[in-house]
Amino acid sequence: MATSALRLEGVDAFYGDSHVLQNVSFELGEARMLGLLGRNGAGKSTCMNVGMGLLAARRGAVSVFGEDVTKLSPELIAARGVALVPQGRRIFRSLTVRENLLVAGRKPDAGSKHAPKHAPWTMDTVFAMFPRLKERTSQMAAHLSGGEQQMLAIGRALMGNPRVLLMDEPSEGLAPQIVAEVMATIRKLKESGLSIVLVEQNPNLVFDVADDIVILNTGGVAVVSTPAALRQDDALLRQHLGVF
Amino acid sequence: MNFWIVLTVNSVTFGGLLFLLASGFSLIFGLMRIPNLTHGSLFMLGAYIGGSVVIGLFGFKMNFWLAAVLASLTVAALGALIERFLLRQLPGDQLAQVLVTLGISFMAADFCLMVWGGDPMSVATPQGLGGFARVGGAVFPLYRLAIIAIAVVVAIALWMLLDRTRLGAMIRAGVDDPDMARVVGIRVSQLFTIVFALGAGLAAFAGIIGGPILSVYPGLDQDMLPLALLVVIIGGAGSLLGSFVGSILVGFIYNFGQALLPELAYFVLFLPMLLVLLLRPQGLFGRHVP
Repeated sequence: MATSALRLEGVDAFYGDSHVLQNVSFELGEARMLGLLGRNGAGKSTCMNVGMGLLAARRGAVSVFGEDVTKLSPELIAARGVALVPQGRRIFRSLTVRENLLVAGRKPDAGSKHAPKHAPWTMDTVFAMFPRLKERTSQMAAHLSGGEQQMLAIGRALMGNPRVLLMDEPSEGLAPQIVAEVMATIRKLKESGLSIVLVEQNPNLVFDVADDIVILNTGGVAVVSTPAALRQDDALLRQHLGVF
Repeated sequence: MNFWIVLTVNSVTFGGLLFLLASGFSLIFGLMRIPNLTHGSLFMLGAYIGGSVVIGLFGFKMNFWLAAVLASLTVAALGALIERFLLRQLPGDQLAQVLVTLGISFMAADFCLMVWGGDPMSVATPQGLGGFARVGGAVFPLYRLAIIAIAVVVAIALWMLLDRTRLGAMIRAGVDDPDMARVVGIRVSQLFTIVFALGAGLAAFAGIIGGPILSVYPGLDQDMLPLALLVVIIGGAGSLLGSFVGSILVGFIYNFGQALLPELAYFVLFLPMLLVLLLRPQGLFGRHVP
């Protein structure tokens, strides 16, 4: 059986007294893309935060390529090859573009059998993917446009040479043309063999690129399916996403 | 004429000393948001430890500069312990941090009184710097000029560290967004220990460097802490340039105030602080913190 790149098993998580994830289980296959859908407040970003170690699971387990990371801190999870492109981008605003990439640099874990198959990400390869960032290397990140900030957030995540990439609403707040650019980048990353969880509110964006779909509803897993199956099931989408 | 020139040199010298003290205070407050009221004690401890080694009070002697390095490293280690085992337990709780650091400063004062007694300790000027330099018609003590040079070198080194190295960028990233810094793999807690230790070491270095001018005495900590606070409030927390300009400004105000208006010296000293707090609370070069 193929190894899971990321697995959440029976995860319960809380913000204070709010029980935001209830018995959530799903897995991301190696070199696959999982689309994580759900309405506002369904628990999508919380899943990302639990996967990255920013929020501790009170029950259940999180594993990366079979290794239990449930109790690990974000920096140790990052060292195991997980990177996050967070909602709202959260670039380091007082650092330059170059410094944002520099601080996130980490060599790939070459000894691992799950090491990325493509050439390691460096500042040069990130700039090759996002030429606009190269033109702004010395600019403060706070002064970039929304699209450029999103590119920087993706580039920063790639500088960690991750095996698993968690992307939390990368299209949020961007103009349609920039969304198309970002989605094209995500497609390239998938083709490079990276295992990706893509969180989105807009199912159409995800259906075009994902292999598998998980729909969350009020903190629990409501549907596990594929884009092809879900495209045929408007009633199910209406029920859980309130769209179409 | 000589009077004014000498007063000016003294002001710049004192400003240089204040920079060594306040740059660490500013870094710790600006980067970690910890109002570290032990900073005056770290200055005094550095002066006592370094001075004791210079005069051989611990059974061994070292030359002034080696003693300064030893005192700085010792106090830096103490700072790292304070950060790791006390302040880290109180993240974001500034009132608790103020009370804890104030408590430690009282304990440090008692400790110094017990170990070194109540008499002032004089520290000899380092060898080779006891003389005077004659420039034009004026005569300057060499050691005071050396302090100015040391402060400039330290300022450049700190600027290079924070602005030109990966470590400096990581520290600034940790200040911008500590959670995201951890997500990209930065060990933020280790960085903050390094910053606190660096600030403590710089304070101790200032203490021993200032020894030959100020001497070392009980209460030195309480004399220096308000001046460091003044520098940071005027210059802006977390800004190296702010610390530098603030230190020189306070050096001038302190010396000229003492010389020209001795009965109003504290009034003159703290008036700019009040004005800055009212008109530009983030300080001359500080970033606005919402």
